[in-house]
Amino acid sequence: MTPVTVAVASGKGGTGKTLVATNLAAHVARTGLRVTLADCDVEAPNAHLFFDVRAAVAPVEMPVPEIVGACPARCTACRDACRFGAIRILGGRPVVLPDLCHGCGACTQVCPSGALHERQVAVGSVGVGRAPDGMRLVTGQLHVGQSKAPAVIRATREHALSEVSDVVLLDAAPGAACTAVAAVHGTDFLLLVTEPTPFGLHDLTAMVDLAGELRLRAGVVLNRVGTGEVDIGAYCRTAGVPLLASLPFDRDVAACYADGRLLIDGHPAGDRWFADLWSTLCDHLATSSAGVPA
Amino acid sequence: MRTLVVASGKGGTGKTTMTAVLVHVAAPSRPLAVADCDVEGSNLPLALSVDVVSRTAFAGRPRAVVDEEVCAGCGVCLDRCRFGALSLSDDGLAVIDPWLCESCGACTWGCPLDAISFEPQQAGEVLVGEGPAGPMVFGLLRPGEDLSGKLVTSVRERVAALADERGVGLVIVDGPPGVGCPTIASITGADGVLAVSEPTLSGEHDLRRLVSLAHQLGVPVKVVLNKADLSETGAQRIRSACSSLGVELVGELDFDTDLPRALGAVARGTRPPSSLDSSSFVHSVRAIWPRVDPERADWALPDDGSG
Repeated sequence: MTPVTVAVASGKGGTGKTLVATNLAAHVARTGLRVTLADCDVEAPNAHLFFDVRAAVAPVEMPVPEIVGACPARCTACRDACRFGAIRILGGRPVVLPDLCHGCGACTQVCPSGALHERQVAVGSVGVGRAPDGMRLVTGQLHVGQSKAPAVIRATREHALSEVSDVVLLDAAPGAACTAVAAVHGTDFLLLVTEPTPFGLHDLTAMVDLAGELRLRAGVVLNRVGTGEVDIGAYCRTAGVPLLASLPFDRDVAACYADGRLLIDGHPAGDRWFADLWSTLCDHLATSSAGVPA
Repeated sequence: MRTLVVASGKGGTGKTTMTAVLVHVAAPSRPLAVADCDVEGSNLPLALSVDVVSRTAFAGRPRAVVDEEVCAGCGVCLDRCRFGALSLSDDGLAVIDPWLCESCGACTWGCPLDAISFEPQQAGEVLVGEGPAGPMVFGLLRPGEDLSGKLVTSVRERVAALADERGVGLVIVDGPPGVGCPTIASITGADGVLAVSEPTLSGEHDLRRLVSLAHQLGVPVKVVLNKADLSETGAQRIRSACSSLGVELVGELDFDTDLPRALGAVARGTRPPSSLDSSSFVHSVRAIWPRVDPERADWALPDDGSG
């Protein structure tokens, strides 16, 4: 059976994506469903800090060309084929700039002499493990200094979707660019986490636009209620996006999060908040083609 | 010209608020230029008043297009694409998913009919404005685009050129979250990174990654701990991390939920800039500024240079 896929995303960083994704995943796992949480915020993966998981880690590799043979005189085919400027001709020989390479393989396709070979370069890793409550956690991590986050996100998603699950939750990178798209593309539902500040509203607007362009169903989780006065509910009504839950901000929430504890364990109201969010989310999923996980 | 980048690794630690306050604190004594390199969530213009005076289109990667009159549906292109962007439609023609396509052109090399071509498209804009302290440059990336690093580079080139033109000695940059492509583009070649952290396990984890990246790029880091009063154990964790990383913790600030609103009021002109001086957050930033100011403070990499 194909799992229901729900992505948790946010235009602005630090609004509570990881808080929502980790608590929702753990809550759903405790209802008895098979849950996989995929941390696709590979530049700053933090979900693993909230679970006692020993992960088996595999490298994420990307093919990068290298020159291993003799090039024909004055041949510039590989450089001409590369749309990323990752191959330059210096002193009559091609030189590869790995940081600019996307691993598309165009250069090796056009090379007439076989002088160009691809080698695998590690750009990150994917860890897979199981939390005590049965939830599966898949963590993507970009190696520091590498810029190919989308490749690591794709690998993380593939790992997560290959697990047998009823529900796959994806914790996306902040922002509305390619890293967010790589995580949320093609999911059944997009949970947009925001805060009641001018910054939160501004960046939520970009995410709602993105959801429209990607033709994804979306709903909003308003977090940190009490830290600003912007009326996110009014925006949601105007934009036609349902407001699924509002989570208050208090010192107990902050303390739980600071120590890497789940709210459903450490906050008196935590379990109810996420039970309510899951129930509301199921109502919305029921009206989509994804259906309610059972 | 000196460049200070405000970054964080983890999002939401208070980079933009910190940048706006630094501009407020630094500006009266000398001219400066400001850039917002968080091109996916450009919020600095909400925190500082800015009159946009010019907009320049930022070209994206060309968009791959299948000529349906020519495509015979042989499917060779599907095998050439490594990003899973190509499929065959119900009518048996090649279809490109623009969200997966990286515009590499690998599909075109195999196509026996030359049915795939590329059209230019716009990916965003570079905007130049006049702010309270001097010129301000920011980028707007179209949602879903993959060129944030390149747009950041354009924003930085533009602000450097303006600073040069006007003889401005200091550029303050609001950086993006994360440690990927836009962050690398934001801090490469800068004189220092002021890392805004928070007293959480996540904050510490992401701070370590940011410091490691900056040191790899040869850029020294100093840390300011924001929202320090939210967790004493968390604050202690950041203090220990700074000392083990060999980076200076220049100060600790309490969580101030009123400040973004106060900055917004100043940006809209409904309150004078001097109204910010009653904020204890602003007062604390003023106190640490001499240790951060890249024109005066000592910025050095740790002795082993590795972090």
